[in-house]
Amino acid sequence: MPLAHATDLAIDSTMTLNQVKVGCDVKIRILSGPGCDRLRDLGFCEQLQVRKLANGRNLICSVCGTRMAISRELADQVLVGPTN
Amino acid sequence: MPDATDPPSTIALIGNPNSGKTTLFNALTGSNQKVGNYSGVTVDIKTGETFTPHGKKLRVLDLPGCYSLRAPSLDEKVAVDALKGKLPGHAKPDLVICVVDASNLERHLQLALQIVELQIPAILALNMVDMAEKSGLRLDPAKLSEELGIPVVPMEAVTGKGIVELKQALRFPFPPAPEPSWVIGPEKSDTTRTRFIHSLCELAARRPDSHQLTLSDKLDQWLLHPVFGWAAFLCVMFAVFWAIFSFAQIPMGWIEAGQGIISGWVESLMPPGDLRSLLVDGMIGGVGGVLVFLPQILLLFFFIGLLESSGYMARAAFLMDGVMAKAGLSGKAFLPLFSSFACAIPGIMATRTIDSAKERLVTIFIAPWMSCSARLPVYFLIVPLLLHENEGSWKQALVLFSIYLLGTLTAFVVARLLRGKLGPDTEASHFLLELPPYRAPQWRYIIRHVLERGGSFLSKAGTIILGLSILLWALSTYPKADDDNTDPLSHSAMGRIGAVIEPVVKPLGFDGRIGTAILTSFAAREVFNSSLAVLFRIEESDDDEETRTTLRQKIAAATWPDGSPIFTPLSIISLLVFYIYALQCLPTSAVVAKEAGSWKWAAGQFVFMTAFAYVAALLVFQGGKLLGF
Repeated sequence: MPLAHATDLAIDSTMTLNQVKVGCDVKIRILSGPGCDRLRDLGFCEQLQVRKLANGRNLICSVCGTRMAISRELADQVLVGPTN
Repeated sequence: MPDATDPPSTIALIGNPNSGKTTLFNALTGSNQKVGNYSGVTVDIKTGETFTPHGKKLRVLDLPGCYSLRAPSLDEKVAVDALKGKLPGHAKPDLVICVVDASNLERHLQLALQIVELQIPAILALNMVDMAEKSGLRLDPAKLSEELGIPVVPMEAVTGKGIVELKQALRFPFPPAPEPSWVIGPEKSDTTRTRFIHSLCELAARRPDSHQLTLSDKLDQWLLHPVFGWAAFLCVMFAVFWAIFSFAQIPMGWIEAGQGIISGWVESLMPPGDLRSLLVDGMIGGVGGVLVFLPQILLLFFFIGLLESSGYMARAAFLMDGVMAKAGLSGKAFLPLFSSFACAIPGIMATRTIDSAKERLVTIFIAPWMSCSARLPVYFLIVPLLLHENEGSWKQALVLFSIYLLGTLTAFVVARLLRGKLGPDTEASHFLLELPPYRAPQWRYIIRHVLERGGSFLSKAGTIILGLSILLWALSTYPKADDDNTDPLSHSAMGRIGAVIEPVVKPLGFDGRIGTAILTSFAAREVFNSSLAVLFRIEESDDDEETRTTLRQKIAAATWPDGSPIFTPLSIISLLVFYIYALQCLPTSAVVAKEAGSWKWAAGQFVFMTAFAYVAALLVFQGGKLLGF
């Protein structure tokens, strides 16, 4: 079985917003998927810091001091990494 | 130099939802605004007038809130069309005021930058600076202005701070169209724009600690909690309905007393005859029977305004998303449907905020089943009959609550079936909702909105309902019986219509008079009360002792020819069920036709709902009889 190479540590260490624990601060790394234009319009942009406030059917996150509720499908399109 | 005879220049207000556009619009235009709207969501364009410090008149457009110029939803498309001058009846704006919330610059600047890229002269109104600075944000408007290339005015629209400075910035000549400095070469504009905003915010809006738990966060921990949040939601909804039922009693008593005084005064002045009967029974009785419900309607609009203005409505939409999903809808459909409890027309117009076209159609289709305020007069008249007591008890609030629940649940079932039939969307859309911070309600705005609604109800009572009352009175009075032995009502045109209708409505438990009243209420639901007032008063008008008793006591005493009462609990429930489901509102059908884009939807909705109402009432009455009630 061929070994996978860690080509880009930053990208390999990302996870989706759904996988983040409640109460954690993360930084948005990549947006990918059909909803990413809409997400950018609403302020989910690369390099911004997000705090996840609640889990559930829809997630609640705080971006730049505003609370947003987003569906799990959309949250799957947000790849985040550690703040620094 | 433009002189006073030039047509006024047009300026447009644009910004994200919750950035305070409408507050700024009201502060700029004062009482000069033309079109009424319903609170919270601006879905149509409002226009008003303002003056520069030099006395030059300006036309101001308030555009619907939007996040981007890419416009997936209809209300955003309206805003984009208006900016490009494509909207019929509105000139292309000469200047755009971009309203941004200072504490949310990273997000709100997205739209501002897109507007600068259109190269329209623009001004940035940096709104809610006080709140932003209180939260520790250090703003640098001069730096922002330098980097963006457009004037920046820090302000606080709610208190009026910065309005004068903004008007100064509106002086002629307007600032030149800006050159977007961040658009370089062929690179995708999204990424360069985002990078620019990021660097700009680090320069001009420094945040000490971006994540402090605010009071809103703490409140949301409870109000959006899976258990306590629902408990709070149910308490709020029940309190609203209870308050509408009980608080309105006092002013309703005044209106009833006033109506009695006026009728008595007219009767003491005029000799008995047709003219007195027209004034007292037809006009005062007919209009009074509807007018008495004004306090309740005002209260309902007041509470909806309060919930929207305080920020709770978005939480309710969030909580309801799971429930709405079971009906094939999303939380976005909650606000239109909840507004429909006040009136289906603004509710249907609010469906423009729904991204998915099919979900929007379904929401429009079921909106009239949210019991609107026009049904309230009918419910308030009939529900106390069911319980044999006066108005205002908690039991009646409970019955009213279940009436609303029944209509809503059936609507959800139908929505689910219809959504399944329409199939999935061609373009996937997802639930995305901003939860604004809790704010103290803007009382002035709510009160103005309530008064506007009250005014439109009064003008309806003064025109359509007055006209129909007179018509009903004439139909129930003429032609007159030749001798005194025959019943004057059964000889009149109305009595004859009733006799024709009776076989149709008798299986539902109604007599010809109720059938006639239902028929007249297809013009507007409240007319049901006027019709009953006219129909039953005439029947008993020869009993002078009883003419002062209220309408409710009269219809409670109504009997079939064989002496058995018409209003048994079963026939009352059957009547309630009919009113829950029947679509008896011409203006609603007109709005549905416009918003759904075809008359077929409106006609299909009307036929379906009316047939459904008939069958449901039939099943209740006949089923109940079979079960021995």
